[in-house]
Amino acid sequence: MADNAKMQPDDTSSGADMDLEDDEAGRGQADQKAPSSDAPPPRTGGGRHVDVGNFRVFPDLRLPEFDSGPSQAFVAEGIKRDDGAIFALVADPTLPTRSELLRVLSGIRIGGQLDLLDYDIVYWPPLDRSTIVCFYAKPGGSKVFTDGGKKAVIDEHDLPSTVIVPLINILTVLSDKNLAHRNIRADNLFFADEKRASVIAGDCASCPAGFAQPIVYEPIDRMLAEPAGRGAGALSDDMYALGITIAALGIGHTPLSKFSDKEIVDMKLARGSFQTLAAQEKLPLTLIEPIRGMLCDDYEERWGLTELNNWLDGRRVKPVQGNTERRAARAQNIGGRDYYTARGLANGIFNNWAASLAPLRDGVVEVWLRRGMNDADRSKAMSEAMRQMAWSGSDKRTAEDVLVSRGIAILDPNGPVRHKGFSAMLDGLGPMLSYDVQHGKGAQAFSEVVVRDLPTFWFSRISGFRPEIQSQQQVYKGLRYYMQQQSMGYGYERCLYALVKNQHCLSPLVENEYVIHIAQLLPALEKVASVTPHSSWPVDRHIAAFIAVRLQDDTEPQLTALQNPGDEVEFSRSIISLLALVQWRHGPDSLPHLGLWVARLMEPATKVFHSRERREKVEREIPKLAKRGNLVELYNLINDEKERRKDQDEFISAVEEYSAADSEVFDLETSGPARMILAEQIGRQVASFASTMIALLTVSALFMMTVW
Amino acid sequence: MAKNKDKAAKGAKSKKSGGLSFFAILVMGVLLFMVALPTFITLVVGLLPSVLAFFFDRHQGRYLARCVFGLNFSGVAPYVMELWHEGGQSVSIATQQLLDPMTMVIMYGAAGLGWLMYLAMPPIVANVLNLTAQRRTVELREQQRELVKIWGENLISEIEKGHR
Repeated sequence: MADNAKMQPDDTSSGADMDLEDDEAGRGQADQKAPSSDAPPPRTGGGRHVDVGNFRVFPDLRLPEFDSGPSQAFVAEGIKRDDGAIFALVADPTLPTRSELLRVLSGIRIGGQLDLLDYDIVYWPPLDRSTIVCFYAKPGGSKVFTDGGKKAVIDEHDLPSTVIVPLINILTVLSDKNLAHRNIRADNLFFADEKRASVIAGDCASCPAGFAQPIVYEPIDRMLAEPAGRGAGALSDDMYALGITIAALGIGHTPLSKFSDKEIVDMKLARGSFQTLAAQEKLPLTLIEPIRGMLCDDYEERWGLTELNNWLDGRRVKPVQGNTERRAARAQNIGGRDYYTARGLANGIFNNWAASLAPLRDGVVEVWLRRGMNDADRSKAMSEAMRQMAWSGSDKRTAEDVLVSRGIAILDPNGPVRHKGFSAMLDGLGPMLSYDVQHGKGAQAFSEVVVRDLPTFWFSRISGFRPEIQSQQQVYKGLRYYMQQQSMGYGYERCLYALVKNQHCLSPLVENEYVIHIAQLLPALEKVASVTPHSSWPVDRHIAAFIAVRLQDDTEPQLTALQNPGDEVEFSRSIISLLALVQWRHGPDSLPHLGLWVARLMEPATKVFHSRERREKVEREIPKLAKRGNLVELYNLINDEKERRKDQDEFISAVEEYSAADSEVFDLETSGPARMILAEQIGRQVASFASTMIALLTVSALFMMTVW
Repeated sequence: MAKNKDKAAKGAKSKKSGGLSFFAILVMGVLLFMVALPTFITLVVGLLPSVLAFFFDRHQGRYLARCVFGLNFSGVAPYVMELWHEGGQSVSIATQQLLDPMTMVIMYGAAGLGWLMYLAMPPIVANVLNLTAQRRTVELREQQRELVKIWGENLISEIEKGHR
């Protein structure tokens, strides 16, 4: 459905002019709120609006109660059919959306989840660029939770039936598809109807997994990662968030909201999640058991859906320890602070990167693991990491950083990959890279992590069964190779598109067009071609990498040719080939502006023919084909294999002929004295022969005269 | 060593053949002296330039001697024929012929022409060869220009690349 939806950049009924007129007024009303979430959307043509397939969105009418993290909600209505009350959630274009969830949730109704009617890529006037807009059915009731309250919104005895049962349903559906919601939190819940008998969870697909979650909702391993790098996660992460949600609804405010993020991290690491919550908040007694089960910091021990269902059914559930982290007999000091747990120490090392090198390098941490923690396995791994640093050779600084990073991996293998300022879960590296690249941090940190092969080390250290992370291992195998290649089509750009399925192409040429699917690329370039001067090639590093990842065909030959920009013939041929391949696979059939763009720059490609006549023929054909906008024909023109081979053979013959002529001329010009000697010899021979012949003739004539 | 032996053998062979022909000429001369003295006298006096050329031309092939002899003999042959046909092999007629300055002019003039031909022929041949070479050079240059016209400067750069 979404694939069939058309991009409609502007209001069709009011026209582009009206949009421009409204623009100024619109800016003033950018944050104007709708009178009420239940109020019917305006049915008249008044106000600026954007038509998207079956829907109409009003960019000036905000619905902040339906906002989800960085995604903003706006008033919307159905145009062609009555979809009931709906709202549009406009995703932040600088953050990747979750493609799997969009695909799974769109168009189907799942109990416990807000109905995602459709989603589409739309030109969004306030941002002056395209982005993804999700169309949700408005819930029947209001938002469940508004932070800052002092008493429970829902009675603790009603919580199981009102909240837990509907949320179990959506979590079951998603976990069956190996997906996680990752946006379960109290302020993302809505009452399904006005009776307030059950709740439904809000959006979970418009931003990276866990990005919008307050740190308290994240389990202890994922909370240490940057928000964008918290990873896709699994059911156990949703269960943890559900535990916090129940606690929040039970106590009437977000737990630990009076503490800063850093304090929450330190408290959770020091005492464990449940102990921290129990110590700081007054949890409802009836809910203590499920909260303890769902906030267990060991993801393998944490309650799953079975345990929660058993508890709902009133059956006895295996009790869990809130905090299973082993404590050391003595503390390890890093940066002036004592740490008793390996996980806490790992975080301390990450926060005191430079100061941590000495204790790691000198074996102090290794001794602490062996004697203080009595953990021979990790101690052995640490001494192995130290030995590898000693063998590192010339680049000592890099080896030291790698040692610190590996040290963290050994101490907290289930935590995020941490390297200097970079911190992301293994299943969150892609969104983290996307965030860094689009928010000015660049790809340097990610590049170092991949080039130094830290993910591989992390994978080797993971304890227990974590399918959501281990499934990523195959994806990372190619990343290091991509990073080590310098040419177009590789580098961090390739990694970005390989890791993030819904990442739009970040090429400056088409970034505003929000190109996610390969089929969108050429239409976007065609649009760009109609307005920009054709001074550089329509393929840059981002576009080349985007094509390499998104196109199913093998593009390695073209990318290999792009490695040498000095060879302008092969370079231009490869670029045309890439574009032609995309057009051949995904259309559209005619791209006249892009055709002209390519035609203007393909002069070097005509040099593929040696023969002047052939080149002139190609140059005559190019404008004709360019006008037709068929890149495949343009490519075939310069890539006629039979003609090229013939041209090459003839050229080789011509070179040989020219060289032979050159040699002969040289011989003729330098053989003067030799020719004189030859002439002397031949002249004498000719003279003697002539003389002999005259003598013979004379004698014969005289003899004849005498006889007759 | 083997090469030196071969050379010596070759030299000995040519010397032997030269000696043989000289001996044959000597035998023929003696026979002619005994059988036809007037003819012998006419030939000896008339072919004197050839004899001189034979002795002075030491080049391989003795083309000078051959040239002079050919035309010299052409000049002498009519008088020998006249001696045989009209004079009945008379010494006095032979002497009379030889004392006629015209006879000497014809005989020795013909020998001189042979010598001139020997001198003139090499420059003529050299000119012919030079002209042929020039024409071939022009042809080849034209052929190269045609190739450049078809293939462009690429051809030159390709050849230069090959040279490097």
